[in-house]
Amino acid sequence: MRKQEELPQSGNLTAMIDVVFQIIIFFVCTANLQDSGLDSRIKLAMAPHGKVETKKDPLQVVINVDKSGTISIARTPLTQAELASVLRKSVNEAKRYGGEVPVVIRADGGASHQMVRQAMDISAASGIWKIKIAALKEKGD
Amino acid sequence: MARKRRENHETPGELNLTAMIDVAFQLLNFFVISSHPMDVMTNMDIFRPAPESEITEPPPVDITMLEIMVHANGYAIQKHNVRFEELDRQLTKLAATSKNVSVVIKCTGDSPHTGLVNVLDLCSKVKLTKLAVFSM
Repeated sequence: MRKQEELPQSGNLTAMIDVVFQIIIFFVCTANLQDSGLDSRIKLAMAPHGKVETKKDPLQVVINVDKSGTISIARTPLTQAELASVLRKSVNEAKRYGGEVPVVIRADGGASHQMVRQAMDISAASGIWKIKIAALKEKGD
Repeated sequence: MARKRRENHETPGELNLTAMIDVAFQLLNFFVISSHPMDVMTNMDIFRPAPESEITEPPPVDITMLEIMVHANGYAIQKHNVRFEELDRQLTKLAATSKNVSVVIKCTGDSPHTGLVNVLDLCSKVKLTKLAVFSM
């Protein structure tokens, strides 16, 4: 009886601590996955006075245009016809919910306008008139 | 015996935290070293007329419409070539009189995309929001 009183509430916490760390690592690793679709090879032009986008629309389509003029969505290179098809489908999908498709063009600062206009023209031809141009407000490093 | 029993009472439910603290510091070090500051993004709204639109030319320029040309070598405002600083000054002056001005930005094919972004940034700075981009 006395021995049991000497060791009160000495539970083994190792398993719980293991699980807690596993959860922390999981959240830290998955926190930035939503930005992984952005093509990191694209060097955006600086726009220090632009407003920071806080709301993220789930219907938003981000079109990447690299320096050589290659158009891609979520790192998948697309032809002009494919891009037009993707945008038309998105527009039709958005119409069902009575909304618009926000299109963001992420073009490399060194790309010529000729390359960027392809994406703009296809968006406009698909019925998307309001376009957002992505830029860098603040460089991280 | 009495002394031994007292020692046992002093450390009843003690847990050895050394290993956990080691791991915690390892993780902390890992995240501090491997993390890097995030870039802050901005999105600037423009209006893009359809390419097959019946209106091929923008409407005639009046006081409520400002035309800015972006070409390979620089900028032009109302068809006068200007440097970036001058463009900044003129836009600031114009925006001080009215925020209702529509800005038509015309870009030549060989102009760098940075040029367009710079003009959009200036418009954002002086809070001009009615922006349309045409390609030449």
